[in-house]
Amino acid sequence: MKRIAVTGIGVIAPTGVGRERVWQALIDGRSGISRIEDFDTSNLKTNIAGVCRDFRPEEMFDEREMSRLDRVSQLAIAATEMATREAGLTNGELDSYDAGVFLGTGFGGQSSIEEFCGAFFSNGKGRRSAIAIPKSMYNASSSNIAIRFKTRGPNITVTTACSSGANAIGQAFHLIQQGHAERMIAGGVDAPITPVVMDAWKEMRVLSTKNEPPERACKPFSANRDGFVLSEGAGIVVLEDLEMAAARGAHIYAEVIGYGSTADASHITFPDPDGESHAMTRALKDAGVNPNEIDYINAHGTATKLNDASETEAIKRVFGSRAHEIPVSSIKSMLGHSMGAAGAIEFIATVLAIENQVIPPTTNYEEADPQCDLDYVTEGSRRVASSTPLRTAISNSFGFGGNNAVLVVRAYVQ
Amino acid sequence: MTREALESIEDAVKSIIVTELRVDRSRLGPTTHLMKDLGADSLDALNIALRLEEQFKIKIPDDAIPRFLTVGDIVHGVNEHLATQ
Repeated sequence: MKRIAVTGIGVIAPTGVGRERVWQALIDGRSGISRIEDFDTSNLKTNIAGVCRDFRPEEMFDEREMSRLDRVSQLAIAATEMATREAGLTNGELDSYDAGVFLGTGFGGQSSIEEFCGAFFSNGKGRRSAIAIPKSMYNASSSNIAIRFKTRGPNITVTTACSSGANAIGQAFHLIQQGHAERMIAGGVDAPITPVVMDAWKEMRVLSTKNEPPERACKPFSANRDGFVLSEGAGIVVLEDLEMAAARGAHIYAEVIGYGSTADASHITFPDPDGESHAMTRALKDAGVNPNEIDYINAHGTATKLNDASETEAIKRVFGSRAHEIPVSSIKSMLGHSMGAAGAIEFIATVLAIENQVIPPTTNYEEADPQCDLDYVTEGSRRVASSTPLRTAISNSFGFGGNNAVLVVRAYVQ
Repeated sequence: MTREALESIEDAVKSIIVTELRVDRSRLGPTTHLMKDLGADSLDALNIALRLEEQFKIKIPDDAIPRFLTVGDIVHGVNEHLATQ
């Protein structure tokens, strides 16, 4: 079986742009959540979000490109630029039918959809456009990546809500394993912080309303948690046939060794530990590893009442009494929930935890919840003892719709 | 159609092109080609047609759009549409 390497990382998050900045903020326990400034929030109960304020698309795109690319495509292209540059891939290596793109997004070109719907319903006052469809369609980001980097292989967008990014990476991993491509640009992207989406989430009553102070709102696994914080971002990795990556002397961050995907098939939003635990079990089976080999779990950990209890229960079902010995952390406590990007950014955090032998914390934990009784790494980032190295980890992503995806990452050893 | 009226059409057409293609007005002459000189594509052409329809209250038939290639062509075309309406 082919081994698959992670050779490039591009990430844009509310805490910064680029692998180094985002990782540093994570291990420092720094939040990227702040007050929404771009639109009126006076009718909302939540006025905070994770906005990528350091992302400056105007430095990368000219005015004409900006007018053609929704923010979600801008984020995706910028993260891909970082990931492919890090991977040291030349244009020749990307301009190939053996290089492809597999992207996940929950909301696609949401800002553009709202703009064009606004124009349509404005009785002729709004600005209609011939690029409404190509700008807002869900596959715009992955196609724009292919157009810019000339990747001519498989180009696929998956949308499974909050697990989109993880499913995209898992599917890309299998495509390379099966020989459909030699290398894939894979990950997730979303830019859903809009007045319409914020209002819709408000009606579902799943957003945290702990607006003050913003950076402490998201409290995964804490008894006083009251919901997630919406955010935006992009997480892109370059996945490659490991032999080819090693042959060209690429830095190998880690290996993807397993992927599991299941559906709860029970309720459109209510999570089910059965579907979640099976996603973990299938990922471990795909990787050919035993549950007792898992050294760290990067949790979905949204900070909703339901998710955190259900995920904890699912972890216990898979790992038994050993569940209490495995560090489990949720970086959503700092980055918020970037929907389709979250699974990919969290996969990147898992890879970097292995690379750096440091586990990022769950911040804002305040009160013990009897339903959430695992080791959530609440004291701050944790350096792993060299006697018990962090070798193998999983990243959980569970989406609305009951779409679960789990990725297994292993430290690269020649 | 008076010379003033034609100039006014030309002025409006240029403003639309400047806005849609984000190019400097000084680049626009009667023979400036939207695609060859200004890098426009078919989607830009559709957006320019949309703006012309809105501004001049005309209907541009599908088969007329591919003939709108230069600033001069567009001014001439809009003028013809206005004359026949």
